Parts: sequence; C-alpha cells; structure tokens
Amino acid sequence: MRRLFADWLALGTAVVVIAMSVLFAFLRTSSELH
Amino acid sequence: MQSRFVVRSIIWTALYLFFILGPMFALLAGSHPPVRDFWTEFSAAIGYAGLAMMGLQFGLTARLRFVTEPWGEDVIYHFHRQMSLIAVGLVVAHPIILFVIQPERLALLNSFTAPWRARFAALSTYSLIALVVMALWRVKLNLRYETWHVTHIVLAVLAVGAGVAHMVGWSFYLADPWKRALWIFFALFWIALLLYIRIIKPFFMLRKPYRVAEVRRERGDSWTVAMQPDGHAGFRFRPGQFGWLTMGSTPFKITGHPFSFSSSAAADGGRVEMTIRNLGDFTSEIGDIPVGQRVYLDGPYGAFTIDRNPADMHVLIAGGVGITPMMSIVRTLADRADKRPVILLYGNKDWDRVTFREELDKLKQRLNLTIVHVLEKPPAGWTGEKGFINAAVLERYLPPPFADHEYYICGPDVMMDAIESALSQLGVPLSKYHSERYSFV
Repeated sequence: MRRLFADWLALGTAVVVIAMSVLFAFLRTSSELH
Repeated sequence: MQSRFVVRSIIWTALYLFFILGPMFALLAGSHPPVRDFWTEFSAAIGYAGLAMMGLQFGLTARLRFVTEPWGEDVIYHFHRQMSLIAVGLVVAHPIILFVIQPERLALLNSFTAPWRARFAALSTYSLIALVVMALWRVKLNLRYETWHVTHIVLAVLAVGAGVAHMVGWSFYLADPWKRALWIFFALFWIALLLYIRIIKPFFMLRKPYRVAEVRRERGDSWTVAMQPDGHAGFRFRPGQFGWLTMGSTPFKITGHPFSFSSSAAADGGRVEMTIRNLGDFTSEIGDIPVGQRVYLDGPYGAFTIDRNPADMHVLIAGGVGITPMMSIVRTLADRADKRPVILLYGNKDWDRVTFREELDKLKQRLNLTIVHVLEKPPAGWTGEKGFINAAVLERYLPPPFADHEYYICGPDVMMDAIESALSQLGVPLSKYHSERYSFV
C-alpha cells in the first residue's frame, strides 16, 4: 500500500510536469514571450 | 504518518517539483531565442524536465536520511524506479515529437553524419533505455546484482552527462551566460549527489569500521552476523530499522546490501546483529565470514519502527526471513520490560525452517506475547494454522476493533500484497499499516 502511495506520487509528478511543459510551450508561443 | 513527517513529506515533494520545473521555467527569463511552433516548444520543455528528473534520480538514492525518513527507503526506491520510467518516457517523446513535426530531422539519427549535439542526445537516450530495461528485467536477464549495480551507475552517468552535453551543445535556450551557468550548476549538483554516496559518505565510514564478533547458524538456512564497532561508539537504531552492509576492507565498494537489524535496539556497546537467509546469491557466503573480518555499516535507515507509532498493542506479521525486524522489535520490547500486548503472526514453509522459534518461545515469559505459527507444509499431527496468513487467520486471533491496532508487516512481496489486501477487507485504514519490502533493491 505504501508503494501504491509512491505510484500515485510518481503519476502526480508526471501529470504536473506535463501540464507545466504545456504551460511553458503556451507562454513561449504567446505574444508576451516572443 | 505523524504530522511532522506529513509536513516534511509535503516540503520535500514541493522541492522535488521545484528542482524539476525551476530550471526549465528559468529559461523563460531574460532574452529569448526566436519563437517556434507549440509542439517544438513543448518537446523542448519535456526534454529539459526529463533531464532534470534523470539528474535528481541520484538524489533519491543518495541515502539522505533527512529526506527519506518520512517515507522509508523502500518507498523512495520504488518512487525512484517509477520516476525512471517517466523520465525515459519524456526523453524518448522529446525527439519523437520533433521527428513527427519535421521528418527530415530523422537524418540526425545517423550518428556518422549527425553533429555532436545529436550524437550526445542519442547516447543519452540509448543509455537511459538500456538502464531501464536492465533494471526492470535484471532477474530475467540473469544479471548478478553486483554486475547490474555497476552497470546501472555507469549508464546513469552516461545518460545524464550526454544529456547535459546535448543541451549545452544545442544551446538554443542557453545563449544567456547566466542560463548556461544555472544549468551547469544543476548538472554539478546532480553529480555531487552521486559523489556524496559513492565517495564522501564512504570516506566518513572509513573511520568507523566494524568487526565481525560472531557468526551463528539459525534455523531456515539463515545466519546471524554480530558486529562490534571498532574504535568508535557505533550508532543507535530503532527496532525494525535496517543498515547497508559492505563486506571487506573498504567502504568504497559500489555494492552494499540492505539488511534489517535483528538484535535489540536497547543493547549497549554499539553491537548490532543482522540475520541473513541464504538466497543463493552472495548471501550463500555469509556463513563463511571469519570472526574478526572488517565490515562497514551505513545506518540506521527506515520508517519501519514501532517507536514512530504509539499504540496500545502491536500486531507483527512476518513471512520467512521477514522475521528479522520483528525479532529486533520483540527483543527490544523485552529489554524495555514493555508489557503491552504483542501478537506475532509468523508464516513459514515448514516447522524446521522457523527461524528463532525457540527464542521466540522463551521471550513469551518476558513479554505479553502471543505467537501464531502458520505453516504451508505442516508436519504430521500439526494442530496449528495451516496454509497462509489471510483475513480469516487475522480475524481468529486479533481482538476487534481491528482498526485500532498498529500492523507491522515484513515478508516476500506476494505475502505482503495478500496481507495488505486482507487488512483492507477488515477495514484497517492505510495509516495503520507499516510495511518493509526487503526486496526493494
């Protein structure tokens, strides 16, 4: 069960990192950061 | 989990995310290179994040006690493993997206004609893939643990080193000198984490050797190795914790092995004991260790201890050699003259292989201890429990309400999964389970 917690933590990290990568790309391609 | 550990685990999780995302978002400060399409920028972002994740893997296995303490090493190693899969996913997706957007970039895969920055990218990606494949299928590939461990470190350094070389060589986002300096600082920080566990920590251990004081044969093809600090006071551990044992004359050996302490944590003089079962690998040589042999112990580690969870009674559930941390717990409770009830459910294949069974019987005189042996292959005339420890066995021996007790579980993975599922059936909340998976490396 404790390993299940680690699984969720890893999955959560992946989701946050991908979401932040989308944000990074969005900010770069938005007018402010050209 | 105690509230101080909850707070610490939240802080460390936030810092972990910051160390992945911070260097990436720092690239958005200062001057910017020409903008590209969304998917190219997304591909660059996951490349940077994947590289930072790979670098931080050195930190997860650096045995930094103040970091791992809230979770326990087995959870951290499992997280390390899962994060390597995510990192390889990001690192592989990074070029695939670029190839889909602009198929002519596929020419970069030809290492004979590609520029150095692309060669480094290929080396990093191939090293990472090889590393993950070898980690996932080490047993199926029939790799010795020691060989795998050295290869694992070499591939990890190659993957991160070549990744950094690719990033600096491409230099698209690193035109500003401070951005280049920032990423080089992070790369040095990752290498420092590796050097800490491989060079700095062993250097300090060099001054604190142990000598093997006794090697005792136990039931169940197991050996107890007693070790005495040589010229220093040793360390104190909590019952249930473990240490990394490095055999031989140097602590700089790449491979140490984690073993639970089986002796009482209340013992004076720094003497510690580990009980090790012959599993056919290097453990088959434990019985041949000569008394007086120099060894090095790195510890204590682990969140699996009764001292972190105050309770009116303890339920210990052990399978096979998973008895070792339980033995430390019951010996410590006996030395502390602790009269709280303890129920030990102890699963084994057969009666002859029940490690410590005689001593456990004697400990009943000093403790409020109930022992339930569960045998897979009981001898003729056996009237005790047969088969495996399951929900029915737990219900027969544990006083309700089941959710009020603290449960400590240690044994083979299959057994632990079954027990955790049985406890869930009995309505025991997750916060009451405490488990240690000794097969975490």
